[in-house]
Amino acid sequence: MELGRLEYLQALVTEFQVTDSPEAKEQVLANLANFAYDPKNYEYLRQLQVLDLFLDMLTEDNETLVEFAIGGLCNLCLDKTNKEYILEARGVEPIINCLSSPNEETVVSAVTTLMFLTTPQSRHQTTALPVVECMLRFSLSANRRLSNLATLFLEDYCSPPQVEEARNLSKHTAVGIPLPKD
Amino acid sequence: MAAGGGDPGAPYRHHAQLGACESRAKYREGRRPRAVKVYTINLESRYLLIQGVPALGVMKELVEQFALYGAIEEYHALDEYPAEQFTEVYLLKFQKLHCARVAKKKMDERSFFGSLLHVCYAPEFETVQETREKLQDRRKYIAKATNQRDCFVLKKVEGPKTTVSKTSEHDCPWSTSRSHASSNWDPSCFTSSHGVSHNTGHQCGNRNQSLLTSPHYDNNCAETSAYFGQNPSLTPSVQPGGCTPPASLMQQRMVPTYSGIDRFMPRTTHLQERKRKREEGNRFSLLGTSADNTEVIIGPQLPGIPKVDMDDESLNTSATLIRNKLKEVADSVSTISVEKPESGSAKPLVKQRRRI
Repeated sequence: MELGRLEYLQALVTEFQVTDSPEAKEQVLANLANFAYDPKNYEYLRQLQVLDLFLDMLTEDNETLVEFAIGGLCNLCLDKTNKEYILEARGVEPIINCLSSPNEETVVSAVTTLMFLTTPQSRHQTTALPVVECMLRFSLSANRRLSNLATLFLEDYCSPPQVEEARNLSKHTAVGIPLPKD
Repeated sequence: MAAGGGDPGAPYRHHAQLGACESRAKYREGRRPRAVKVYTINLESRYLLIQGVPALGVMKELVEQFALYGAIEEYHALDEYPAEQFTEVYLLKFQKLHCARVAKKKMDERSFFGSLLHVCYAPEFETVQETREKLQDRRKYIAKATNQRDCFVLKKVEGPKTTVSKTSEHDCPWSTSRSHASSNWDPSCFTSSHGVSHNTGHQCGNRNQSLLTSPHYDNNCAETSAYFGQNPSLTPSVQPGGCTPPASLMQQRMVPTYSGIDRFMPRTTHLQERKRKREEGNRFSLLGTSADNTEVIIGPQLPGIPKVDMDDESLNTSATLIRNKLKEVADSVSTISVEKPESGSAKPLVKQRRRI
């Protein structure tokens, strides 16, 4: 059964790489992202370089692909090996960029992924000033899911001085990361 | 698409039922037609929104049906939620996320009093604390499933004490990091279960993350417990660190993991083991349980080749029986051949030989 699973995942990755159909790409990526929820698959996903695939998809124009890719990363980034891999592959930057997406699921997944990727070594990236400032704005959102997660981010992953600094910054500048449309 | 902003109780995009995907390649078609959707921990929730409930006053039956999958903490109708004519919308709050997950899987698209239910998660009803707990549980689950104890937990763990103590039990690294005799042990980490979670904000994170690099911990919990059972020499290696609390705590932890190795030893090995221990009883009684562990270190003993006594008469029972039978037949044949000498000696014998 283990061999069957690897082969199946391999077939998905292969289809993703060879297909021209955007629908098929979306379906396969969603499939892989859902597989990324189960730790049993992590070894196979690493072997098949699916983590790189997810990271690459974050910069696609197709919003659906971005949404599924960041969802996949959110699902698997709590595992220590996966976390280290994503951090070493400089994955934090494209994930932060997802905070600007108009897609609600993308933004929500990005916030959680940043939380999960926060370690003593990576916190200077994941809780950088622009990010904290963004979270401040999100915490005031009418979207309860977003405001809850942003509040958690500020309370549990940022120090009070960081939050204070971001608060002062947002008072003086109008530049900010926009809230998702839906 | 429905608006996502606004208070909980308004229709959100993630409540909408997407159409099933029709164009899936055959090899990846599931048993049921499904929409193209990704589920993350953000989307999942203990709160379930049930749409399409017929307005027949069947709330009690609805709750009873869902309660089959787990305890329900709260439930009520959502009168403001837009609903199709003659249907109502209900909100259910399960005690456990995995119960909600199963209930959703089983009850979505299920017929209920003649109407098809649409069940979806409703995470927008969570409080900040509930979301926090949900993410923490996910963290613990991954740590346990991948056998990694990440000491870097949240700075503030608010909420009831029971939650805190559960968190600390799982997030404390000393259960998995004993293979490295580090001099950086912080005894304060072991003073109390509450102490662990509160002290391990950043300091422990630095200290203990370096301890989690042993390749032994890539496997699942069962294999790890086997590892512990086979290598209790780890126990003395950590003691030079000077912390008695870890050793005593480790003794406590050793007991369940040792019983783990028993499960994976074949029964015949157990029997052989016990027999050997009985034969060498004096030596074991002097050395105590550590000797037992030492014996186990060598590895499960394969059952010895059963020694057969070749002189035992019972081995020849079948052969003797057959010989006697042949003798009997031969005697009876010779008697017949004496009576009928003209029919020849060979042929009657051939005739009377029966194939068994």
